[in-house]
Amino acid sequence: MGEGARDAGHLPNLRGADGPADPYRLPRQRRGQTPQMHGRYPDYDVLDEIADWDDLTRGVVLRRLHDVPSRRFFTEAEWDALAAFCDVVLAQDSDPRIPVVAYIDEKLHAGRLDGYQYADMPDDRETWRLVARGLDQVAQSKGPASYALASAEVRHEIAGEFSEAKVTGGAWDQVNVVRAFGVVMRSALAAFYSHPWAWNEIGFGGPAYPRGYARLGIGMSESWEGVEAFDIDPVPDVKQRGLE
Amino acid sequence: MRAALKGALRPRENDSAYLLDVHSRGVPGRERMHRYPDSDEVDMLIVGCGAGGSVLAQRLARAGWRVVVLERGPFWDPDTDWVSDEEGSAHLYWNDKRIIGGSDPVEMGKNNSGHGVGGSMVHYAGYTPRFHPSDFDVGTRDGVAADWPISYWDLKPHFERVERELPVAGQDWPWGDPHRYPHSPHPIGAAADRAWAGARAHGIEMRVGPVAITNGVFGNRPHCIYRGFCLQGCKVNAKASPLVTHVPDAIEHGVEIRSDSMAVRVEVDGSGRCTGVTYLHAGRERFQRAGAVAVCGYSIESPRLLLNSTSPRFPAGVGNNADQVGRYLMVQGAPQVAGRFPELLRMYKAPPPEVSSEQFYETDPARGFMRGFSIQTVSPLPIGWAEHVLADGHRGAALREYMRDYNHWAVLGALCELLPQPENRVTLADETDQFDMPIARFDYTQCDNDRANIAYAKQTMHDVWEAAGAQDVLSIDRYAHLVGGCRMGANSESSVIDQDHRVWDVPNLFICDGSAMPTQGSANPALTIMALASRLAQRLVAKRVAAQPSNRALARRGGYR
Repeated sequence: MGEGARDAGHLPNLRGADGPADPYRLPRQRRGQTPQMHGRYPDYDVLDEIADWDDLTRGVVLRRLHDVPSRRFFTEAEWDALAAFCDVVLAQDSDPRIPVVAYIDEKLHAGRLDGYQYADMPDDRETWRLVARGLDQVAQSKGPASYALASAEVRHEIAGEFSEAKVTGGAWDQVNVVRAFGVVMRSALAAFYSHPWAWNEIGFGGPAYPRGYARLGIGMSESWEGVEAFDIDPVPDVKQRGLE
Repeated sequence: MRAALKGALRPRENDSAYLLDVHSRGVPGRERMHRYPDSDEVDMLIVGCGAGGSVLAQRLARAGWRVVVLERGPFWDPDTDWVSDEEGSAHLYWNDKRIIGGSDPVEMGKNNSGHGVGGSMVHYAGYTPRFHPSDFDVGTRDGVAADWPISYWDLKPHFERVERELPVAGQDWPWGDPHRYPHSPHPIGAAADRAWAGARAHGIEMRVGPVAITNGVFGNRPHCIYRGFCLQGCKVNAKASPLVTHVPDAIEHGVEIRSDSMAVRVEVDGSGRCTGVTYLHAGRERFQRAGAVAVCGYSIESPRLLLNSTSPRFPAGVGNNADQVGRYLMVQGAPQVAGRFPELLRMYKAPPPEVSSEQFYETDPARGFMRGFSIQTVSPLPIGWAEHVLADGHRGAALREYMRDYNHWAVLGALCELLPQPENRVTLADETDQFDMPIARFDYTQCDNDRANIAYAKQTMHDVWEAAGAQDVLSIDRYAHLVGGCRMGANSESSVIDQDHRVWDVPNLFICDGSAMPTQGSANPALTIMALASRLAQRLVAKRVAAQPSNRALARRGGYR
């Protein structure tokens, strides 16, 4: 592990006005996949461990990878707007991308909702549709034909306005905007961080049944857990380690 | 001598751990489970198979009572129904819609509402602290909230008995009424190690536990494997929930657990006695007759069922003639603060509940508010961590950066005692659900004392991380647990049930779950709910409560089992 990860200087709170660092400075993934292929555990692939997972869990996780749901709930226009929005708020600016909106579509189509609805909000399914329409309306007010067709800069600007509840008019007047942002972010995050590519990126151990863990203390790792790398330059590193 | 017996004590009068199968996790014997026809007047009909209902059923069945439990959700089999995955576990929660309102609405489902046999203890973290003696006379002691009509000492023998049955592991406990635990403390992970070091440096005492997770083999339940998925249902059978601690023994003693059965009305006759419960099973309305009924549906569903049970005698819902049903519902303020460290801590390893402190539990006038809070380690898995990062105000590239840093973080959570208020309550909304039953609306608003308590607890956790040398901190405001809504009290004007859990004015209707509690302390409620059920069962069996089975039922008992 490089000093870079021991030091916390890369964290947004400590960088202040500089904003988050460029993730493309991080090691490229060499084993398995991560979203955008950068991460902190370049030689760790949680999918190497699937033989040690119980059948039921393995089925649930692999379905996310191999059976990406097709569009059934959203209209094509809604899907495009929301896919673009999810990519902005999850910083997915290049391939490979986790198809977040596909999992959300499946959940809403099946009616799998959280167990509550705010008194000043519509049903979550309606909230999602209103957000899609609202994003397009704001984009159109700035010129582009839709949110999905707007430039990256405009898409970021609108997502920022939504997160700060600065969007008004049209669809936005039918929801509590602060809560609507919470509704969509909660689902987007659940879809993204339930995907094994995201586990590779953050070094999460994934399902752990029936194996469990034996090495719990500071600095202790299971033999299969990922080794953290922060500031290695993959080109000389590969050469040094004789991996080519 | 007592130390030598650690882990070796077999609980008295509960063989659940020994009735389980060594090679599979599901409850054995379901195919042999006793079945009662609807027309048979059972001695006790229980609504809800969670912490309260399961213990009550098991105890009464041991005494020969004929018991049926109606459970809205499925009869879980951990091997075939649960996965070792965060997103794949949403079906463990009560996800039917509830409307939430007030100035500080409480999000429902995940984190506070169970579904299926075992109730919300299926997905609780596993912390099982006792209430303190001070919890039972907060009204007299602090001039806020309310007094209970019973004392800590009424519950103490039941705390001890339930702790042996779960069993609870932890260090000798110095707070409240000092006590020991039947199982030794678990080893702790790196994240808890960091938290504890910070607490020590800041002058705060912490202890390992108390968690209802086996530390050593217990009957046919295995040792914990430290996989960290306590909140997703324990596939190991190491973490206690009624599904493994009381349901097997209950079934062995003749209880029928009728799962997938949604109670919609408690029926009351012209004389004011309840006669049974109308429920829906497989799309058909049915009515189970009963000599007595115990509603154990927790703080939202118990009030909802009572409010929906209208009759000429109880036009506003059974037991609600004084307009008390659904009121004084409490949640705990549960802010979490995370600290960042140079080393890899990998908080996903080891159970989320590890070490805790009750040093701030009681009122300290110097803090400027009444009552207090507890501090516990919690260890969110990736989706939980993402919600934490989002709540601190990060999204996009900043959110991804904090997420990639996951393995360097440790998280502390507080449980703040928020005060009971009459307008924090459950009512029936205009909208109906798939059972054509009005859905519950829960309004919640904090008072100034609540806000001061939460702010102080957050600052204390920040101080702990600073003392530990954390490089960065992130925090989230949230709630945990439900308590109250059908509280017990000394008179029918200010409570729903008496000290024996009996609904005022209905001699054979009881409420025995978290909704019965007049205050919530800073303790996770599961152990206290079980202890209350254990006490009620003891009193019913000893006939110190009038709704014992009729003579006819007692006569029948001779021929049963």
